[in-house]
Amino acid sequence: MIQITNLVKYHGAHRVLDGATATFRAGELTALVGPSGGGKSTLLRCINGLETFHEGQIQIGDDLVLMGTGGKPFDPRMLLSIRRKVGMVFQQFNLFPHMSAQENVMAGPVHALGKSRAEAAETAKKLLARVGLSEKLDARPGNLSGGQQQRVAIARALAVNPTVILFDEPTSALDPSMAGEVLAVMRDLAKSGQTMIVVTHDMDLALQANSVLTMRAGQVLPERLA
Amino acid sequence: MRRLPVILLLFAALPAQAQEKKPLRWGTDPTGGAPYIYVDDKSPDKKYIGFEVELAEYLAKKLGRDSAMVDGDWANLPKQLDKPADVEKGLDIVLNGYELRKDLLAEYAATRPYYVYRLVLISNQETAKDKELRGWADLFPNPATPVKTVGVLGGSAAYKHMKKTYPEGVNLQSNPDVANVFKLVQDRRMDATVQDNPAASYFLKNEKGLVAIGEPVKPGFYVIYYRKDDKELGAALDKAIAEGLRDGTLPKIYKKYGLWNEDQERLWYWLEQPWPPEDVEEDEDVDDDGQAVNPWPRLFRELLGAAGITVLLAVVSFPLAMLVGLLVAVGRVYGPFWLGVPLGIYVEVIRGTPLLLQLFMIYYLIPELMFQTEFGAFVWLAQNLTPFVAGVLGLALNYSAYEAENYRAGLLAIPKGQMEAALALGMTRATSIRRIVVPQAVRLVIPPVTNDFIALFKDTSACSIILVVELTRKYNELYNFNRSLIVELAFVTAGLYLLMSYPLSIVANRLERRLNAPTGGR
Repeated sequence: MIQITNLVKYHGAHRVLDGATATFRAGELTALVGPSGGGKSTLLRCINGLETFHEGQIQIGDDLVLMGTGGKPFDPRMLLSIRRKVGMVFQQFNLFPHMSAQENVMAGPVHALGKSRAEAAETAKKLLARVGLSEKLDARPGNLSGGQQQRVAIARALAVNPTVILFDEPTSALDPSMAGEVLAVMRDLAKSGQTMIVVTHDMDLALQANSVLTMRAGQVLPERLA
Repeated sequence: MRRLPVILLLFAALPAQAQEKKPLRWGTDPTGGAPYIYVDDKSPDKKYIGFEVELAEYLAKKLGRDSAMVDGDWANLPKQLDKPADVEKGLDIVLNGYELRKDLLAEYAATRPYYVYRLVLISNQETAKDKELRGWADLFPNPATPVKTVGVLGGSAAYKHMKKTYPEGVNLQSNPDVANVFKLVQDRRMDATVQDNPAASYFLKNEKGLVAIGEPVKPGFYVIYYRKDDKELGAALDKAIAEGLRDGTLPKIYKKYGLWNEDQERLWYWLEQPWPPEDVEEDEDVDDDGQAVNPWPRLFRELLGAAGITVLLAVVSFPLAMLVGLLVAVGRVYGPFWLGVPLGIYVEVIRGTPLLLQLFMIYYLIPELMFQTEFGAFVWLAQNLTPFVAGVLGLALNYSAYEAENYRAGLLAIPKGQMEAALALGMTRATSIRRIVVPQAVRLVIPPVTNDFIALFKDTSACSIILVVELTRKYNELYNFNRSLIVELAFVTAGLYLLMSYPLSIVANRLERRLNAPTGGR
């Protein structure tokens, strides 16, 4: 479970997050929707510490608490323990272009968790099979379609065994058929009980969610849909 | 009517011009040139003194002309005679301890001798003791003692003598500056030097720790060179030298500088003999019967050996430059503020100062400072800094600044999302930089980095000023004694550089094309 309480963040004088409070339940797919500039992506990026915030706190599970720092950087050890529990999938995929699909998926286990390459390679094969890319182990990101790249990115996030995965508009850089491929993978993940938080404008994706939260002007509206 | 005054003026000026002769432009190299020519520290206006300065003034006076000193690089002074005398750096005569040499006589005319020199072997007192250097014979190869490093003036008779007499057993290093060589011997960074006796006696008197070893050998003549068609000038100079010897002017000058010795008695004998003598020593390319042999196999062998040093300098120094450059770039882009500022200054200082100066600092000045600390490890380092190592360090240092800028550009070009993706996977910042950002940045800037390697390859020639005999230095040494082949040697040397750098260009182009391909390079 992730509990966000009274999060405040400024960009200069602008209050991007204006006391956002929300609960994300374990084992659920929660969609975060709302108009552009409402602070959805910022809130999501605060959860794994890619953005700092000024006030409030984020509690992840029972033991990890990230406190507002007034805009200063977080403690790096704290960030490491959070990021090992919280994975992320980006709008622009952000695959590592100098590595093959399999190496991309191996990057986390090898360079973050210190697993052996052989073990990581086995995990990567299984995960790429799970997202339907068994044929593309050696392909470089530049040779994959957008949908394939995003599926590799999901496999890469899964490879470090996170308790929760954050999705930042995972389908908005894709045309509908490719978005469909990604959606199918996410539906499969949801069925297996993976906790996921998805920022999206995609209604097909929002409809998959167990619950939908709306953000507007830096606040999370109290109504929870579905 | 308006022209009349001008014409009148011309007529008025002509007789005056005829009376007032042009100054006698004499070529010399004042760098480290005591006692031939050097700055008088005691005089308030720091003017040049030296036995050749006084000789030139005497000759000019005899010729009824003013004396005008023209400076140049010693080894290239005769070349300056190829231009007319009245242009920038043009000369009437070369008067700077130039020996009577067959190769020079082929192109220029020489006066009768004005001084008889000998070669003196000079070492450091302690070096001589430690390395059992007691005479010339100890320079021959001997398995029981290490090879001696001996410095000589590039293009001098001493160089030629050493090369011919001790082809093995001596590590011969040529340097354009005599004072630097003495300094190296004094600091025990060089075992010995072979110098003409005027320079030898000056430095023995004025510098501590030096000692002459064995007897002075191989007497030879100092002569003045002039253009072959300046017969009148040559005759006047010969006459002035003869008169100067007979009326005691020249001996007086030599005695003033402590250069007088019995050898000089021969000068009078040679005033009466046919000049130049028939038996001027042949250059090296004759066989035992005095028959000329084709010099090219030997020249090629020497040039190729030097080209090997050039390649070695480049391939050792450039990876170092890349490594340092990469570290500096990472420090500047990702390091804290207090690190970024000094690194920025490092890049600007190194980029903003000439490579030649940096090499000079590393080889001469920094060891000098290390000696002054008298701290054991520093003194050891200073004594053992070889020209090659100094060259590698200098090139690596210089190019590290350029590579730092290349890599910085590369690092800044990697999208922010790459770093975020790595961090989101739980990698530390350091791991993210090392595993994700740097590999991409390095690939991105391969073309400009390869380009710099080609540039460095040619910049290795700068190492010639610190005694590294690489291709350019070797070319300089060779053409000094093969002046008839000067153009051919230049083309062969340039060809060797091209032959080595062109394949690099091809590799650079290939890499660039591969990296620009849609699939992206590995």
